[in-house]
Amino acid sequence: MEHYPEQLNGLFHALADPTRRAVIGRLGRGRASISELAQPFDMALPSFMKHIRLLEESGLIRTRKQGRVRTCTIETAPFAALDTWLSEQRRLWEERTDRLEQFVTNMEKPA
Amino acid sequence: MNPDLDLAISRIIKAPRAVIWDAWTDPAKFAQWWIPAPTLCKVAAMDVRPGGALTTLMSDDAGDFVPHLDACFLAVDPMERIVFTNCLLGGWRPAERGFMSAVITFKDHPEGTEYGAHAMHKNPADRETHEKMGFYDGWGTVTAQLARLVEPRA
Repeated sequence: MEHYPEQLNGLFHALADPTRRAVIGRLGRGRASISELAQPFDMALPSFMKHIRLLEESGLIRTRKQGRVRTCTIETAPFAALDTWLSEQRRLWEERTDRLEQFVTNMEKPA
Repeated sequence: MNPDLDLAISRIIKAPRAVIWDAWTDPAKFAQWWIPAPTLCKVAAMDVRPGGALTTLMSDDAGDFVPHLDACFLAVDPMERIVFTNCLLGGWRPAERGFMSAVITFKDHPEGTEYGAHAMHKNPADRETHEKMGFYDGWGTVTAQLARLVEPRA
C-alpha cells in the first residue's frame, strides 16, 4: 500500500498538466481531431503533440489516423483503475482491522 | 470526510481499549497483525510520540526484509487516538513518495471498544481543474460520468 502502483503514477503524471487536463476535458465531450484539440492553445504543434503522445502512452486516450486526420478518443478504463485503487486501500484497512481484532480477541481468551 | 479520497472504517472489537492500544503500540505485538501472514513483518522503528518514526519491513522468506511502511506519528493521545502519515519520516523529515494520513481512534463501547480508522489520501490532480473538467463528484463517479459523456449520441 505504500506506493501508488506504477500504472497510477503514469496516470497522475499525465493528469498533472493543465494542457493535458484540458484535452481530456474536451475529449470527454466527444472525439476530436488533433487540430481541433490544438486550436484553443497558443502552442506550436510539435509541443502539443508531445502532450498527446504522453496522454496516449498513459492509456488515457487513443488516437487513430484516417487519411490525413488523426482523431483522439478518451479511454475510460484507466479512470476505473483510479476508482479501484481506493477500493483496494479500503480492503487493506478492513483486513488489517480483521487481523487486529483476531489478535486482541485471541489474547483475551484464557490460556 | 472526502468520499472520493478518504476511507473510514469503524469496528466494535470485543476487547478492552487498553488491550487494543497495546496491540497497536507494542512493536512485538504490532508485527503480529500489521501485515497478512505468511509475509513476515519486522518493526524497525516505533517511537510512539509526535515526530516519532513508524517503520515496518516485510519479508516473504525471513531472509531479505524490504521496506513496507515509512511513516511519522503526528499525534498520540494515549488510549484515544493515533495519527500518522507516510508523507513524513521520523523527525518530521519530508518523505519522497507519501500519499496518506491516517487517524486511528479508540473509544469505549458497551461490548468492548469502538475502533476507527480514517485514511485520507492525496489528491492527485488539482481540485479546481478537476471541477472544470466536469468531474464534480471526483474519482468515485468519474467512470460513470465518463461513460455517459463518451456514449455515442443518438
